[in-house]
This record gives sequence, C-alpha cells and structure tokens, in this order.
Amino acid sequence: MLGENAITNIGSRAVAVSRELGGITILFAQILRALVPPRLDTRELVKNLHKMGNRSVPIVALTAFFTGGLMVVQAAPFVQRLQATSLAGWAAGYAVLREVGPILIALMFSGRVGANNTAELGTMTVTEQLDGLRALAIDPIRYLIVPRVVSMMVMLVCLTVIGDLIALLGAMLVAKAVLDIEFGIMYASFVENLAPEDFLHGVYKSLAFGLSIAVTSCYFGVTVRGGAVGVGRAVNAAVVAAAVSVMLLDFFLTYLNV
Amino acid sequence: MIELRDVGVRFGARAVLEGVTLTVPRGARVGIIGPAASGKSVLVKLIAGLVAPTSGRLVIDGADVTGMSEERLAPVRARIGMLFQNYALYDFLTVEGNVGFPLVRRGEAADVVAQRVRDRLRAVGLAGSEAKMPSQLSGGMKKRVGIARATIAAPELVLYDEPTAGLDPVTTSKMYDLLRADHDRSGATAIAVSSDVAALVTFVDTVVFVYQGRAHYQGPAKTVADAPDPVVRQFVRGALDGPLVG
Repeated sequence: MLGENAITNIGSRAVAVSRELGGITILFAQILRALVPPRLDTRELVKNLHKMGNRSVPIVALTAFFTGGLMVVQAAPFVQRLQATSLAGWAAGYAVLREVGPILIALMFSGRVGANNTAELGTMTVTEQLDGLRALAIDPIRYLIVPRVVSMMVMLVCLTVIGDLIALLGAMLVAKAVLDIEFGIMYASFVENLAPEDFLHGVYKSLAFGLSIAVTSCYFGVTVRGGAVGVGRAVNAAVVAAAVSVMLLDFFLTYLNV
Repeated sequence: MIELRDVGVRFGARAVLEGVTLTVPRGARVGIIGPAASGKSVLVKLIAGLVAPTSGRLVIDGADVTGMSEERLAPVRARIGMLFQNYALYDFLTVEGNVGFPLVRRGEAADVVAQRVRDRLRAVGLAGSEAKMPSQLSGGMKKRVGIARATIAAPELVLYDEPTAGLDPVTTSKMYDLLRADHDRSGATAIAVSSDVAALVTFVDTVVFVYQGRAHYQGPAKTVADAPDPVVRQFVRGALDGPLVG
C-alpha cells in the first residue's frame, strides 16, 4: 500500500535521525567530560589550528569578499532610487555581520574543514587506528577529538572576524565601482550605523556553528562502517547534518537576538 | 594469566563467539587458528579489551576486567602490545613516530625513544626507514612496523593478529625467528592469530581451533596436523573433503 510504505519510510527515517541525534549528544557529553580537567595534547591542538585555520583563510577571504560585494549589488537599486548612499554601508554591513557572513563562512568551513575531518577520522576508524590508540590506553576522544573540536570552534570565530573585515572591504570596493560611492562615505556609514553588538552577534553565531560542525563531523567520522564506501557516505552525511544544524542554530540565535 | 570463562560476543542478533573457555598461562605462546569469519580476530580484540563480551568473564592475572571502563582498563592495556590485522599504523606519523609512539606516551626521553626505535627497526629489517610515512610502505613493511610498535615497550602480553600475512616465505621465517627470540628473552605471553598454520606452529606451543564461534579444539601445536578431531585435521591439512563447514 502506498500510504503504508510512506508511513513506514517516515517512521524508519525518524528512527534513524533520532539515533544519530542521540549519538551526537553522547559524543558531546564525552567531549565535555574529557575537558575536565582540560588536558589537551598540545601538538595535536597546534597542528589542527594550523590545518583548519591558516589553510582556510584563502577560501574564506574569497567567499567573504564576494559576499560583501554581493550585498552592495543587491542593495544598489534601492540605494539609487532613494538616493540613500549614506546607508549603503549600513545595508551591506548589517546583513554581512549579523547573518550572511557567519552563515556562508560556516558553510564553506563545513564543506572544507568539516568534510576533511570526517574523512580523516573515518579512515582512521576503518583502518583500526582508533582501536590502536585504545590498545595503547589512549582515549581517542581526549587525544584526537577534543583538539579538533577546540580548533574548529576557535578557528571559525577567527575566520569569521577576518571574513567580516574582508567582506566590508569588498563592499567598499564594489560600492565605488557600481554606485560610485566614495570609500569615506561607506566607512562613515559603517561607523555611524553599525554597533559592536552587530559584530558580536555574528561572532557568537560562529562559535555555535563551530561547535555544531565540529561535533557532527567528528561523530560521523568515528561511527563509520563499511570501508571506503562508508567513509564517503559519512562525509556526505556530515556535511548535510552540519548545514542543517547551522541553519537551525542561526534561526534560534537570531530569534533570541543573542 | 589470561582466563576466558564461557565468553560470548554478539553483534546485534549475530553470535560471533559463544561459550569460549580458555586459559593462557603466563609466558605461554598460544596460536589461534580457524576458518575465515570464525571469530579469531574478535577473540584477540576481546582479550585486548577492545570488544566487550556480551556474556561470560575475562580475567587477567586474577582481576576480572569484564565490563571495565576505559579508564580502569588503561593500566591493564599498558601491559599489552597488539599487532592489528590491518596494521593500524597512524597515518599522521612517520615510521619512527609510529614505532616510538608507545614510549613517547609513557614519557620516555627522546634520545632513549630514538635509540630503541632504531634497534627495533633494525630487528624487523627496516633500518633506515624512520622518515617514511605509512603510505609509502608496502603491506609487508607495514606489518613489520606494526610488530616493532607492538613490542617496543616490552609488554607482558603480546597479541598478534595475522603477524605474517602479506609476507613472503623467507620474511615469514625471519619474523617468527624474531618473535621467538623476543619472547625467549622477555618471557612475555604471546597469543597469535594466523592463517599460516605451518609457520605459526614453529612459534607457538599450543593451538586453539576456533570454529563456528567456539573454541572447538585445544592441543599441542607440533601435532595439530594429526589432531584427533577430523574438523581440525581437515582444516590444517587443507583438505577439500571432510566435515568442515564454511
């Protein structure tokens, strides 16, 4: 029966999603427990900070630059119609700092860093490297996962800050090119109309996004089954789960006006 | 001393091991043989504490470690070295980093670690390979690095899961010579899973035949080819005809 199949499919998907959510919650609790006391492997931490942060700057810069420019292009018709050149900076900056910047940078981060993290941990799982650590009485959570989670949270915040600045620069350049708005006018618009809260709102979001991307990517990595094919499936699942979690978190954090 | 008392392992509805009772005295060398998918690797991982039994008890040196948490198992695992079937070499470390890893985690001085790594690599025939990454190694080389890592910290118990798989016959003989010399010197207990029964029996004193999830037979290694059990005889001789299923 078509109806019965649909209900069965919905039910089985709901069970699968619940199982994943439960597993992610358990991993999150294990990570918190491993942070008490906070004994991080320094070498792993530094290595991951570099890998996840430094190497992500170019792609984040590119994304951010065009995001800022895009906001100006979108606002251009209204700015021209209303002769509101003094508000062009506010229009672009408000959207970039509070919303578009953190989200796009987080999604780019998830696609690059989160996916790579899942692939690495997944490969380590199927090749028994995690079992190898446990056999040496090393807790994989404390040794491998906690440094990655901390690195991803710290670096996403840093990348968001860098991205915000580059986005505003991009807005200024595009505003000059498209609307012939001088840099000084754009700068004044930023300073007069944007508040520190607008910037911090985006930073808080990026912290939450970093945590969700980190925990989901690690979870799907360490629960891989089925060899190389399983690793591919896990990467796909991790990116989708991270994207969904970013959108949900964005909604609730915006609603709560954190 | 390792004691498995009526141990069973289930993965979901599938029983991988059932009613396994086995005693391995301190200093003994025991070989685990059996058809593919009979539970040999699971048995070794269970002894290492990487798989929890769903029934029965695992006792190590008089202490019941069944169901122990990872933290409480740590001092037990510190006395165990393990060679994994798929090497389990850490992709992010060089050969030197992999082999020295157990000593580094114990806080040994860098110069001591470096010397012992050199000695171990020379013993397994990989002198000069310190700077290579695992991705640059052949399967046989990875196996030898794994053996070096499993034994560098002089553990009291060493578990070998297919120690000579992928090695040519000459290298296989050299490996077992090395393992014999190691164990003669250290007196460590050894439990080795292998499909190469002919080579394995040159190293171990006793074999356990795991069949359909059970410890079907235990007996002297030297005479396993003439074991009274027809299933064991068929397996060891590689005969196509006989009562062996699967």
